[in-house]
Amino acid sequence: MATAVATGSRSPRGLPKILRSPTTARILFPFVVLGIWYFIYYTLDSRIFPSPQQVAVFMWEEITLTSGVRYSSVAENLYVQFGISLMRLTIGFVIALIVGTIIGLAMGVSKKVDAFFHDWVMGLLAMPALVYALFLGLALGFTNLGPIIAVVLAGAPFVIINIREGVRNTPKELIDMARSFEVPQNKVTRHVLLPSLMPFFFAAIRYAYAIGWKGLVITEVFASDRGMGWTIKFWYDAHRAHGVIGYAIFFIIFALALEKLVFDPLAERAFKWRPKIDAVQMAEGDFGGVQREGFLFIEDQEIDERERTASMESESHDG
Amino acid sequence: MAEIKVEGLSKEFGVGEDRVVALENVNLDVGGHVFVSVVGPSGCGKSTLLNILSGIETPSSGKVTITQDNHDAEPGYVFQAARLLPWRTVMDNLLFVQKDRSDATRARCQKYLEMVQLGDKVDKYPGELSGGMQQRVGIARAFSIEPDVLFMDEPFSHLDAITARSLRRELHDMWSQTKKTVLFVTHDVGEAVELSNRILVFAKGGKLEDDLQIDLPFPRDPAEEDVAVAKAQVLRKFEELDLIAS
Repeated sequence: MATAVATGSRSPRGLPKILRSPTTARILFPFVVLGIWYFIYYTLDSRIFPSPQQVAVFMWEEITLTSGVRYSSVAENLYVQFGISLMRLTIGFVIALIVGTIIGLAMGVSKKVDAFFHDWVMGLLAMPALVYALFLGLALGFTNLGPIIAVVLAGAPFVIINIREGVRNTPKELIDMARSFEVPQNKVTRHVLLPSLMPFFFAAIRYAYAIGWKGLVITEVFASDRGMGWTIKFWYDAHRAHGVIGYAIFFIIFALALEKLVFDPLAERAFKWRPKIDAVQMAEGDFGGVQREGFLFIEDQEIDERERTASMESESHDG
Repeated sequence: MAEIKVEGLSKEFGVGEDRVVALENVNLDVGGHVFVSVVGPSGCGKSTLLNILSGIETPSSGKVTITQDNHDAEPGYVFQAARLLPWRTVMDNLLFVQKDRSDATRARCQKYLEMVQLGDKVDKYPGELSGGMQQRVGIARAFSIEPDVLFMDEPFSHLDAITARSLRRELHDMWSQTKKTVLFVTHDVGEAVELSNRILVFAKGGKLEDDLQIDLPFPRDPAEEDVAVAKAQVLRKFEELDLIAS
C-alpha cells in the first residue's frame, strides 16, 4: 500500500527554505541587532546607554518636530541641519566627481601625468579625515567652504583611482575591431570607451559618496557650527547618547534610501546588459568576458546576484 | 571584381636582439569569387598578414592594394573571438559598424542575422548567447556591411567540433550566395581543405612557401575519400616543408 508522506519544504538540515533565504537573513539582521542592544542595555546597567525605545522616541520627536529642542537660530531642527549637510555634500561630491574624472582620465592616458599625481593621490587616500578636518577648521573657520573642501579631499582620490583603472582597462580588442570596420572615432568613444568606463564610474560615485559623508561629518564636528556632524557633537556635549545614536541612525536610513532609490536603479539601467552569472563562473573569476568590477568596489547588485544564484543552487540541490 | 595584391610585404617587430620577422617578402594575388585559406604553424605571420590587410597594423615594407573594380575595396573582418560590444544588443552590434541606421540598413542586418539562424535574437545581449551564437553574430556583422573582401582570423578555433562544423557549412553557404572574396586564416588543415579553392602555406619566419589549388566540388564532406586524400596531400606538403613540429 502506498504511504502518503508529508514532505513539506525542508532542507536536509531540517531548516525550512524560507528561513535560509538571503531575504530572511536581511530581515533578521535588525532583530539580531535589537536583541544585542537590549542585552547590553540590561547587563550594562548604565545611566548613559539608552534603550531602543528611548532612541525611537527621540527620533520620532525629531522627525515630528515635537521635541522642543532648537539647536540654534540658524539651524533649528533636524530638517534644516540635514539640508545644510546635504547641500555641502552635494557641492563637494559634484566637484570631486568632475575634478577626479578629469585627473583620472589624464592619469590613465599619460604616464607623465600619472607620475606627477600618483604619490599625492595615494597620500591623500591614506590621510585620516581628522587631519584635514582640523586643518580646514583652523584655516577657514566655521564656514561652508571647509566642509565642502573636506568632501572633495575625501572623495576625489577614489574617483581618480577608479577612472584611471577604467582607462587602463579599455578593451583594446574592441577598439581594433572598430578600426578594422572603419568606425568613426566619435562613435567609438560613445559606444566603446564610455560604456567600458561605466563600471569604474559607478564604483567611483558610490565610494566618493560614502567616503565624502564621513569626511563631511568629521569636519562638521570640528569646523562647523551647524550640520549633521555638529548636531551629533551637540548631543555628545550634552551627554545624551540617545541623540548621538538617533542621528547616526538617521544617517544609516538616508544612506540606505539613497542606495536603493537612486544608485541601484541607475546601476540596473546602466548594466542591464550584464550576463546572469553562475556560481562556477564566479569561483573561476569569469564574468562573461567583460570587466565587471571597479577597482575598489563590488556592486551590491552583483552581490545580490551571487546570493540569489547561490540560493537557487542550494534550492535545486535540496529539491 | 575584388582583388587583393600584396607586393614585397615584410613586417618586423622589435629592434636589435628583440627583432622578430613576422612576414618576409610576401607576394600575393587573390581575386574574384574565391575562398583562400592561409595555413601554417603558430608564429608564421598568418594573423599579422590579416591585420595588415585590414589596416590594424602597418607593414615595415612592401605594398598592399585591395580594390573592387579599380576602386578601394571595403573589407569585412571576422575575428578569432567574436569581439562584440557586451553592452549593445545583437542588432546594435551590427548597426555599430554601419554607416547609417536607416530602415534599409536594419533590414539588411536582419537578413544576415537570419542567414546565421539568429533572426529571433536581435534584442539579446551577447552575454545571453552561447559562444557559437556570438561567433555567428560576428559573421553576420562582417557580411552585413556587404564587404568586397572578407578577412577571417581562425573564427572557429574557440568552438567545439560540432558547433564549428555547423558554422563552416553556414559560412560556405553564405560565401556561395554572396560571391565574396574570402581570405581565411586557420591552423586546421582539414578546415582549409573543406572550405577553400586555394591554400597558401606559410612557414616560420613569415615566408609564403606554397600556393595549392584544391579542385574539388562543393559542398565537401570531410568523411569523403577525395577530401581526405586532399587533406593528406596538404599534410604531406607540410612534412616536405618541415612545418610539422616533432
